[in-house]
Order: sequence, then C-alpha cells, then structure tokens
Amino acid sequence: MEGEDGFDPSLLKKKKKKKTTFDLDAALGLDDSAKKEDLIDESAVDATAADLDDNLDLESFGKKKKKKKKPFNLDELEGALPEGGGADDIVIADDPEEEEINLDMDFSMAKKKKRSKKKDLDELFADKMDEDKGEDKENVDDSSSTWAGSDRDYTYDELLKRVFEIILDKNPDMAGGRKPKFVMRPPQVLRVGTKKTSFANFMDIAKTLHRLPKHLLDFLLAELGTSGSMDGNQQLIIKGRFQPKQIENVLRRYIKEYVTCHTCRSPETILQKDTRLFFLQCESCGSRCSVASIKSGFQAVTGKRAAIRAKTT
Amino acid sequence: MSIQNLNTRDPFADAIKGNDDDIQDGLVHIRIQQRNGRKTLTTVQGLSAEYDLKKIVRSCKKEFACNGTVIEHPEYGEVLQLQGDQRENICQWLTKVGLAKPDQLKVHGF
Repeated sequence: MEGEDGFDPSLLKKKKKKKTTFDLDAALGLDDSAKKEDLIDESAVDATAADLDDNLDLESFGKKKKKKKKPFNLDELEGALPEGGGADDIVIADDPEEEEINLDMDFSMAKKKKRSKKKDLDELFADKMDEDKGEDKENVDDSSSTWAGSDRDYTYDELLKRVFEIILDKNPDMAGGRKPKFVMRPPQVLRVGTKKTSFANFMDIAKTLHRLPKHLLDFLLAELGTSGSMDGNQQLIIKGRFQPKQIENVLRRYIKEYVTCHTCRSPETILQKDTRLFFLQCESCGSRCSVASIKSGFQAVTGKRAAIRAKTT
Repeated sequence: MSIQNLNTRDPFADAIKGNDDDIQDGLVHIRIQQRNGRKTLTTVQGLSAEYDLKKIVRSCKKEFACNGTVIEHPEYGEVLQLQGDQRENICQWLTKVGLAKPDQLKVHGF
C-alpha cells in the first residue's frame, strides 16, 4: 500500500475493475488466499457492496454501467453503429470486449498487459494509458512474489495479482470470463396511429426472460398506468405514446424485480405462484423469496368524465 | 430491581415504529399517467394521513409551478395529483422537506 498515494485517481479506476471479477472469485470460495486478501485490505470490503450493484447491471442490460465505460461508447461505438434503436445492441456488443479487457488487466498483468494493450487498446485507452503507465511499471517489474527475497512489505497490488494467478492456475476454465451474461434484444416499439404504441417483440422478450407473457403484460400496464392488449400477430398494443427507451426502463425494472435472483443475482430463476403470492426460486443458488405483487395503485381519471358517469349509472 | 424482563418497555416498539422523527410509514408511490397529447399527470400515493395533504399540495403547486389537487380515494386514502411530469421534482422536494426518505419513494412509470 505504500505507493498508492501517488496515483490515486488511476488506482481507483483500476480497483473498481478488478473488484468486479475479484468479487465473484471470492464469492466462489475457490481460494483461501482470496479470504486472506480481504482481511488484508479492509477498504476492499467497502467497495464490494458497490460492485455487487455493478454486477447486477451487467446481468440485466449492462447499460447502466455507462459511467465506467464512457471512453468506449463515445470513441468507438457511437459512430460505428448508426441505427437508432440499437442502444441495447451497442452495449451488449460492447460488453464482452470490456470483459476481455478486464481479464487482461486482472489476470495476466505481468506478462501480457503491456503487449495486448499496445496492440489493440491504444486508441481506446489513449487517455487512460498515461495514468496506467506509471502503474504498469510498478506492476511489471514485480513478478508474483518479488517480495519473497527482499524484506520489504508486499503491496496490495502484488497480493491481488498473486491471487488471480493462483486462481487461474487452479481452474483454467475461469479464464473465459464469468457466467454467460444476460443478453437481451432491445424492445421494438413502434407507434400505431397517434395514440397507440405497438411492442412488436413482446413475446420474444417474455420468452427470453422465461416469464409468462401475461405476467409481463400485467407489470408493463400497471407501471405505465395504461391499458393494452395482445393483437392478432402476437404483439402488444399499448394505449399512449411510448419511446423504446421508456419501455426499456420498465423492462429493466421488471428484470430487477422478477427475473434476477435477489440473493445471487443470477437470471436463472423460476417464478411460482403459491397461495396468491409470487415466489422467485433461484436455480443456481436455490434461494426462494417472495416478490412484490403487481399493483397498479391509484389511477387518476384521465378520460372523459361524462362517459364514465354514463357507464356507471 | 433491574431485571430487564420486568420492564414495561416494549423491545419491539422501535422496530415497528421505526425512528421517531419520521412519521412516514410504508412506500410513497409516485406514478405518471399519460393524458391526451403530450400531457401527463403525476400522482403521489401513500403519504401518511398525519400530514396535511392540502398544505403539501399548496406548496408543491407553488414550487413546481403547476396545478394540483388532493383526491380522496376509498382504498388508497388521500392521493396527491399534480399536472405534468413532476416525478423528479416531487422526489427531490419530499426528501428536501423531510417528509420521506429516498428509500421510501418508489417511482413508477417509464
């Protein structure tokens, strides 16, 4: 921890990235030294909570992460993908790449880092390079146990690197990254006339989420505070004008509440109805918890009051 | 005579009531509804009955420069209704004034 004061900002950035992968590994409980790591660096523990959130975002759409990967989106992808509705595509396509970079930085820092970075990430990370370089030097010249011979203290970075090397050695299949991410198609939302919106791939999305279309439909309509129905060719017609972005937000909320496991955040879950309550059963960690029921709550009168009065009397 | 079991104080009182300083219990649902054209309504449901909603709406109207009203609903009690998309405004205002904590606010809609 001795050298850290010098380049604080870059360190922060790097730590974050490391943590996303590091957390998972620690959670897997694969290595004892992972725990040791935790003990040694207390500050790391604080960061884990925040990073779990990041993990969740990765799983849902991977879009909220924008903060972190600004350099990417702006530099490369905005220009490259001109189509309008492909906001999700961008991010989804973007994700694996970033993951790779993460891994590069994390696992094989000593040997590969400099080379791979020079090769393909130069222009992307142009601004970051400068900050990293200082650190690179430090990282590169210590191999996994440089402190062994000398009597100086090991730094956090060295320990972290050592842990990752051990993990990588013990289970090589980890190198490919974490579990497959939750990849979703962006919703296709079109206007029908002036007052209605059609959600064309509603059925597909319900299928990819492994949820009953009816449940998703209920949620959408309750959240948007409108009415709607399925039409002949399996698309959803919603009353009101909605942009794809808005629908996407609602979908994201749905995924957070009803698809990802609240404990381990994996999307492999089953939604069961048990005595009028919905329960979310996780396939990967086995947890089971109840989820909020869908309520539309108070609905203000927006239509013609005369018509309502005529109907009731 | 300091046997804790004989005390009359209910140990669970805190957990049930929460902290003394916030009267708000349960979530405040903030919803948006589309009206004709590009007009919208914002409804705030679930504010505690102890608050004087009329006064709240009066100051909200002034603050956000919009019209608003309090609606009596048989099931949901008194509901605040404001014109336009005031979700951001009302969230900030409720936390600023201290009527509700940020984690008690639940924003619905797109």
